[in-house]
Amino acid sequence: MSRPALARAAIVAVAWLALATFPEWSQFWESSRFATGIIRQILIFAIFASSLDLLVGYAGLPSLGHAAFFGGGAYAAAIAAQRLGTDELVVSLGAGILGAALLALAVGFLAVRAVGIFFLMLTLALAQMVFAIAFQATDLTGGSNGFSAVHRPILFGIDFNAAGNLYLLVCVTFLLVLLLLWRITTSSYGRALVGVRENERRMRALGYDTRTLKLSAFVLAGAIAGVAGALSSYEFRFVSPNDVALSTSVTGFVMVLIGGAGTLFGPVLGAAVVLLIERVLPSQLPAQTVLGIVFILFVVFARQGIAGALRRMVRA
Amino acid sequence: MIEIRELRRDFGGIRALAGVDLRVEAGERRAVIGPNGAGKTTLFNVLTGELPATGGTMRLGGTNLDSLTTWQRARLGLARMYQRNELFNPLSARENVLLSITSLGGAYRPLRSPTSAEVAGAEAVLAQVGLEGRGAVPARALSHGERRQLELALALARRPRVLLLDEPTAGMSPAETQRIAALIAALDRSLTLLIVEHDMDVVFRLADRLTVLHEGRAIAEGTPDEIRSDRQVHDVYLGKVVES
Ligand SMILES: Nc1ncnc2c1ncn2[C@@H]1O[C@H](COP(=O)(O)OP(=O)(O)O)[C@@H](O)[C@H]1O
Ligand SMILES: [Mg+2]
Repeated sequence: MSRPALARAAIVAVAWLALATFPEWSQFWESSRFATGIIRQILIFAIFASSLDLLVGYAGLPSLGHAAFFGGGAYAAAIAAQRLGTDELVVSLGAGILGAALLALAVGFLAVRAVGIFFLMLTLALAQMVFAIAFQATDLTGGSNGFSAVHRPILFGIDFNAAGNLYLLVCVTFLLVLLLLWRITTSSYGRALVGVRENERRMRALGYDTRTLKLSAFVLAGAIAGVAGALSSYEFRFVSPNDVALSTSVTGFVMVLIGGAGTLFGPVLGAAVVLLIERVLPSQLPAQTVLGIVFILFVVFARQGIAGALRRMVRA
Repeated sequence: MIEIRELRRDFGGIRALAGVDLRVEAGERRAVIGPNGAGKTTLFNVLTGELPATGGTMRLGGTNLDSLTTWQRARLGLARMYQRNELFNPLSARENVLLSITSLGGAYRPLRSPTSAEVAGAEAVLAQVGLEGRGAVPARALSHGERRQLELALALARRPRVLLLDEPTAGMSPAETQRIAALIAALDRSLTLLIVEHDMDVVFRLADRLTVLHEGRAIAEGTPDEIRSDRQVHDVYLGKVVES
């Protein structure tokens, strides 16, 4: 490893360790438990948002239906665990990933035929169909009541029912997913996705099957959103049509844009900003309005999001 | 190497290609000349599959192209330089060329960076087109001449069998024109070239044979000397080029 790479790896390792041990070193703070819960949720949504960033920021595919795979993964994890009568993490998480990936394959197969605004509309419409199914397949999903009393999983005898264990599971998964996404976006494959974003015509002339390339990214991003969905089902012990709803897709999109598309880490910060506004703001303040104003400020003054603004500050 | 029969392409009422026949041997350097709107770029677009043909049939090295997509034709060894640059603008010149080179190794390497051989290959192609030392510059920050060189590099980097060049010297200064003409002249003789070009000095210097396209038809074909002395060609094209 080169020295800058080594330094970066060290910073990531220290930051992650500080995050993973937050419940320990913050325990004398009266709000430690509350804050730990918020961080868990931020990290879960950070996984969701950075998976969407693979599409929006790298492949140039503005999906407005990404919640279909988040919620689809959550349902698949919860339903598989219940039907198979097991709490094994491998089973429910595996089902979440597989379910979301298959759903993304079906949606993506149709959606990647369109480009630009039509792609956006198509993902939105297809995700609304997934929402309708979640709402109406009452036997499977619990319909509008949702799917409640989801069990928290176990792995090698570690019971993630304990809040501390669940926190570690989320931290470790977050780290693995971000490392994976980082590796993917810097690989030949990731550069090819950027090539499709910048000039699809030229990519085809260079011998790339761009439609399959886009579909593969769509499925990959969907599978990772499924990871976030499964974690969310453990976190809230509840899955509802809201998890596949347009509002959740929009929230993911806003996280990506506030944080900075095409940066991976930006959407993590975006998830933090959005969730802090939604969960921590004094309840007298209308959270959605504040979020709307923050979003507008970013669109007008910081198109590159938080990540872009930070980068400019470092350079200056 | 290239075999085109009765190729037609209509745009609404416009007959851009009205039944073109064209045969180019392997290793041949063929120029396609003709006035603006003759259908030269359309011929390239149909040949690469970027525009569907209205009728007719095309073969490349014996393989029928008619039902193949653009990327499948590219993988048969067909590459092209566009009349209007089609680059990856925010990416560096090196990354532009790397995208062309890594396409040969397959797009699905999600956990691997380009190999050192691929990076070295990109540097070699950049040097070949005269862009050595410019690899780190974003494509959009290059000069017009350099962008044309990069456009050529993208086509060359895949080591094609057949290369289509659409007005390679368009918009270039006389010095830049000389440079890119020399560069094309120095290409491997086994490469089959189809060159659309308005600069007749460049055409006569590069081409083994010429085809004259007029209103979507190939009205003449021959060696440079034969074409120079062809009356009909003078009337529709060469006369005008000389006058202007
Ligand atoms: N995409 C298109 N849509 C409609 N007409 C087109 C299109 N492309 C080319 N044409 C028409 O086809 C004819 C041939 O154009 P083109 O192949 O670009 O000529 P050249 O490259 O020889 O100058 C022209 O009349 C042009 O207007
Ligand atoms: Mg043209």
